Amino acid sequence: MLQIETPPPHGGRLIERVVRDPELGRKWAKNCAAAYDIKPTLSDGVPIRNVYREIMSICYGFFSPVEGSMKKAEVERILKERRLLNDWIFPYPLVFDITEEELKDLGVTVGDRLLLRLKGKPFAILDITEIWRIDDAEELATKTFGTPEGNPEVVQEPFNAKMPGWVIYKSLKPVVLAGKYTIINEPTFLEPFDRFWFPPRKSREEYARRGWRTVINHQTRNVPHIGHEFLMKDAGFTGDTEPCHGIQVNAIIGVKRAGDYPDEAIIEGHEAVNLGGYIKPERHIVTFTLWDMRYGNPLESMLHGIIRQNMGCTHHMFGRDHAAVGEYYEMFATQTLWSKGIPSYGFPASVNDVPYGLQIRPQNMKEFWYCPVCNEIAYSECCGHTKEKQKFSGSFVRGMVAEGIFPPKVIFRPEVYKVIVKWWKEFGFPFCNAKYVKEKEVRLEVDLPDMDI
Amino acid sequence: MSKFMSVLLDDKRMEAIKGSGLEEKIDKMFGGALNAFTLELSDDKAKEVMDAFFSARVDSRGFITDVPIAFSRTLFEEIAKAKSLGDDVIDGVLARVDEIKEAAEKESEFLPVPEL
Ligand SMILES: [Zn+2]
Repeated sequence: MLQIETPPPHGGRLIERVVRDPELGRKWAKNCAAAYDIKPTLSDGVPIRNVYREIMSICYGFFSPVEGSMKKAEVERILKERRLLNDWIFPYPLVFDITEEELKDLGVTVGDRLLLRLKGKPFAILDITEIWRIDDAEELATKTFGTPEGNPEVVQEPFNAKMPGWVIYKSLKPVVLAGKYTIINEPTFLEPFDRFWFPPRKSREEYARRGWRTVINHQTRNVPHIGHEFLMKDAGFTGDTEPCHGIQVNAIIGVKRAGDYPDEAIIEGHEAVNLGGYIKPERHIVTFTLWDMRYGNPLESMLHGIIRQNMGCTHHMFGRDHAAVGEYYEMFATQTLWSKGIPSYGFPASVNDVPYGLQIRPQNMKEFWYCPVCNEIAYSECCGHTKEKQKFSGSFVRGMVAEGIFPPKVIFRPEVYKVIVKWWKEFGFPFCNAKYVKEKEVRLEVDLPDMDI
Repeated sequence: MSKFMSVLLDDKRMEAIKGSGLEEKIDKMFGGALNAFTLELSDDKAKEVMDAFFSARVDSRGFITDVPIAFSRTLFEEIAKAKSLGDDVIDGVLARVDEIKEAAEKESEFLPVPEL
């Protein structure tokens, strides 16, 4: 078979745990044993994660086949083999964690249904099937990402407080309520996120409607410069008997770090690429997933593969330093996972070449730069002018933006730059400053309808 | 050895230096898509800049980098005013050091939005 078809969801069945009938939602909310207001996970008083994003991504099927907060045995299996109890591969523990005091106040036990409130409104329920303890959160954090001794293929340095994902797991509260989540009061997205919300069921329908058999995903947490645009365009030539029909941008939207671009600018910046016709809207779609980035490089790439396969993509582009921070992982760790595998994480072969693995296909890409001799944005494996090349240095581009210099077309498309300036006006700063980071975690990405119980 | 500083030029800045005679000193980057001036600083002036701004450093090419963004903005204003790329421009910038430092203190939270 030369032609590739849309892959099935990871685990074989798309998870959808959203009650869309408000009457039914109200009924379920009413017979809960207790109610709990969702709070952000804090580190030194700073929000670093909000479990609401995990609940959204689980209930809308981005993380299929995961259905809820994990049992102890499941977390242990993930840390050992990166597999769920049903054998399907999965990179990270996902848990609903509370303090001992909170457990005492709630007075819930196994078999109880807990109402979860967000922004003071009913949001979801958790059907508790197990209550277990995290004995040592720091140990859990280290086991989640690995060590240079235990994972010598890819881990170069021990993880520490400068690694956001490690800090998230280290900051987990000691009591885990395990069980399935169900959203009983569907949130509405704030602008501009609302028009980019394509959860797996909807994205699959959209691609079928557009006649897209093959779709390649571009992972982003950046406003796209020309290097990103050419990565998308050139990787888009991957496909089967013809280039990919569609290019999906999926932005990871979640807790921000100072210096990142604001989420609003990232998502509208990508949209500007298609509105400007650089990749026409008929071939390009911008979407997002709610998730507080763990920066787990190869492990994060496995989650990215799961999310995008669930969304209906056939291909996924991976660059170097994929979802990386610092020098913890080797530069090409993600591409190693998606080519020969990483045995110490439980994968003696690529994650799409193991039982209960993924079907989405990797497109491992090298680098793009501007070459004045080729007179084009060149691919590092084509252009031989290594002396003349001009790289898209992140700090150079950011410096230019900060100084208010209108960037040339070979760096940012004017339409994309105007999006940066639009949100710069809104927030008083082109990047996320301390104020933005703090206010975002209060505002979140959603509002909830009133629901009287 | 003398040190250098780079000043990027967009269309608005090009307009501001029109007819100054500085046009012929423009360096081209990205195949002519981006214009820039390269200032050569005497050792004394380079030292004055380094002493005035704690964050400043010299990179492997001998360029002074990591100065406050307000410094770079002021540097262009002084070039446009003096119509020169000499040490006198650096004197003009250093005369405004208090103003630059005040803006620099807010730079992690606030940056002026460019007019489009
Ligand atoms: Zn070349």
